[in-house]
Amino acid sequence: MADEKAQKILAALGGRDNIVEIEPCITRLRCELEDGSVVDEKALKALGAHGVMRSGNVVQVVVGPEADTIASDIEDLL
Amino acid sequence: MSLRVGSPVAGRVVALSAVPDQVFAEAMVGPGVAVEPVRAKADVVSPLDGTVVTLHPHAFVVANGDGAAILVHLGIDTVKRKGEGFELHVVKGEQVQAGQRIVTWDPAEVEAAGFAPICPVIALDASAEALADLALDVDVAANDALFDWSR
Repeated sequence: MADEKAQKILAALGGRDNIVEIEPCITRLRCELEDGSVVDEKALKALGAHGVMRSGNVVQVVVGPEADTIASDIEDLL
Repeated sequence: MSLRVGSPVAGRVVALSAVPDQVFAEAMVGPGVAVEPVRAKADVVSPLDGTVVTLHPHAFVVANGDGAAILVHLGIDTVKRKGEGFELHVVKGEQVQAGQRIVTWDPAEVEAAGFAPICPVIALDASAEALADLALDVDVAANDALFDWSR
C-alpha cells in the first residue's frame, strides 16, 4: 500500500515532528529535518531506497522515479 | 529485443561517473551516460517513443509500453531554478516520439547561474550489463544514438 509505505518512510525519518520540509526531486526525497541523526537508514533501504545521503540535517533518500508520489503521500500525513 | 536510446541534447557524451552528483555518478537509480551539452539555447528531445510519465521543467521520464523508462535530468541541482529558463512543450501523460522536443533550455544560462548543466540520461532500474554500444567520449547531435538497452 502506497500510504503504508509513506507512513513507514515518515517513521524512518524520525516521525512527523522531525520533518521541516520534504521536497521531491524526480528520483529522491530531499528532507530537511530537525535532527538528521535519528534517521533509520536500514529501515529506509528495507523500504526500497537505493541510497541515503546525509549532510547534517538534510537527508536525501533515493527512492527512484516514484519520489513525487511518495512525497505527496507523506505530505498528506503531515 | 533492443531499444535504441537517443541523446536528448547535442554535446559530448561522458561516463556517468563524471557527473558531480552522487546519485547519478554511482548509478543508484540506474546505469546510463551523461551528455555535456553544447552551451547554447536548444530543444531537448525525447530519447525514445513512449509516454511522458514524469515531467518537471528540469527533468523528465519517458516510458514505453514495454516498461522501459528513461530519465533525462537537465543539469545538476537545477530543481532549485524552479522552472526558470525551461520552456515545456508537452504535458505529463502525452505520447511522444523519439526526437520530439520536450523542453527548451539554455545550458549557458544554467551554467552562468552556478549550476553544472551536464545531463544524465538514465535507464531506470536497468542492470549495467543491459546497456551496450555506449557512445562514450564522442560528440553527438540531439537524437543521435547514446546506447542500446537490451530488453
